[in-house]
Amino acid sequence: MADELKFPDPSARRADRDSDALDERTARVIREAYLPPVASSEAETAYWNALESRIMARVASADPAQSEQGWLSVLSGWAQVGLVAAAALFATAGLLSSQLGDTEEQVAYESVMTSTPEALSAPAQLITSSDHSVQRDAALQYVLSY
Amino acid sequence: MRIPDEERALVRAAKAGDQEAFSGLVRLHQRRAYLVARAILTVHEDAEDALQDGFVRAFQALDRFDPAQTFGAWLNKIVANAALDLTRRRKVRNTEELTDALRSPFRDPAESAELSERLTAALATLPERARSVIVMHDVEGYTHVEIGEMLGIPGGTARSDLHHARQKLRELLKDLRG
Repeated sequence: MADELKFPDPSARRADRDSDALDERTARVIREAYLPPVASSEAETAYWNALESRIMARVASADPAQSEQGWLSVLSGWAQVGLVAAAALFATAGLLSSQLGDTEEQVAYESVMTSTPEALSAPAQLITSSDHSVQRDAALQYVLSY
Repeated sequence: MRIPDEERALVRAAKAGDQEAFSGLVRLHQRRAYLVARAILTVHEDAEDALQDGFVRAFQALDRFDPAQTFGAWLNKIVANAALDLTRRRKVRNTEELTDALRSPFRDPAESAELSERLTAALATLPERARSVIVMHDVEGYTHVEIGEMLGIPGGTARSDLHHARQKLRELLKDLRG
């Protein structure tokens, strides 16, 4: 069915080329130099048929989605490495965080325990100082009453 | 551009996994696609490799093909990419081999052997991209925009490359003209 299809040949495409283009003879010689090296028109037909077969053999052995899967498999490979690395990182971070948390709790506990007397002495001083001021006020009032 | 109904049907069937339909597309487009690869690589065997790579890539990417565009234009872009990949992977052979590869002694018996030899030698002296552009444009009839898309360069750059390639080729062949 495909043999019946007709496409414009290069000479038709060249019809509207600009005036500066290479002349027809030169273009033809170049074109012939760039055709596959076959000896005759029969050999040329056989050549294209054989090439088509080789192409289709390669196509048949290639999975249609191979390139996609190839990229995906590459990506999934990297993704796997990334996931393992991320999991290890999280585990390490969790462990460190947990250890640091314990240490912080311990430090906080110890600081509270050791700072209690100081913490308690401040109000005591306040109370003491408050007592002094009361006595001072009372003495002042006593002196002023005379 | 109007897309032939037959091609549309082949693409639809190929997208559904019909390898026979894809074979029809190969039959339709392999000649022009080969010439695109050959314009870039110049060596026949390399062009064949790029062509096969290109068709396999196209088959694998069929689900991403937009049916509103022509299959040939899409395919040629893929084949050109495969050819450019190949040029990057291999540092293509030396000028002597290139010139030999460009010769085609069993073709055009009526054509001037001198012209053929001088042309192939002159083409071999052009920078790789300039040679691709002049072959694609003046020989194969692609537009600057199409060439730009295939080679991954702006259309204006393709136009400029073409201008310089023509100048150089004319300079090299001036004693043959007339």
